[in-house]
Amino acid sequence: MAIDEPHHSAAHLPEHVAAPIGADEAARALRNGPVGALVVASIAVALLFIGWIAFYFLLFLPRGPVG
Amino acid sequence: MAEPPENPLQRPLADGIVPEEVVARTENRWVIIMGTMLAVMMAVIVVTGVAGALHPSSNVEVIDPLTLHLGGEFAESNLGTAIEPDGSATVRLIGEQYDFVPHCVRVPANTPVKFRLTSADVVHGFLLPDTNVNTMVVPGFVAEVRTSFSGPGDYVMPCHEFCGLGHHAMWTRVSVLPKDQFAARGPLERTRCAKQ
Repeated sequence: MAIDEPHHSAAHLPEHVAAPIGADEAARALRNGPVGALVVASIAVALLFIGWIAFYFLLFLPRGPVG
Repeated sequence: MAEPPENPLQRPLADGIVPEEVVARTENRWVIIMGTMLAVMMAVIVVTGVAGALHPSSNVEVIDPLTLHLGGEFAESNLGTAIEPDGSATVRLIGEQYDFVPHCVRVPANTPVKFRLTSADVVHGFLLPDTNVNTMVVPGFVAEVRTSFSGPGDYVMPCHEFCGLGHHAMWTRVSVLPKDQFAARGPLERTRCAKQ
């Protein structure tokens, strides 16, 4: 590849990705919002929160105050 | 340079493809969830902090690092573990390149232990794994941290503040003994456990 040729990822080519959907289909899929993205974000945030609680109560507090 | 073919996936979706009420509802719920989480975390910190008197060690005491060895609290004969009249233990240590003096101290389990440390040369760090004890040892100041050990065992105390070429080898230990075994030791054996 020539050094001055811009880089395009493989996903840039339509034949390398899933079939694109039209605006109407996208609107139908999103009529209740991006539910899948919200589920993924909720799981990530829930894990973070549970991790914080677990560290605080199971690790930090049992080690006792130092001041 | 040839232009790459147009990718239909990169076509922007029309504005308003997600109904406005759905966007508003989603944002409101997300704000409520985030607010609740932050409120819970703050409440946990404040309640446990107040109830358990949790706070960073904040002792500010100055001392002349040049005269530590000449007398006073950190004279050599005064280092190690001392049992106070109330039954608690006070451990006095000096950090110096590249060891803590004494190299090993004994303390009783299930007893309040107060560590008082200072440095004779550069900044060192004092950390006891499995406890919240973690403080810097700065020349010219006395660091003081309190803890208690729930069970017997050996705790290594690595210096965790880079203090020079021998820093990686600078570690020492606290030997925690059951109360009765600690009391049965002779005075010098109670004070420290490093080989003389």
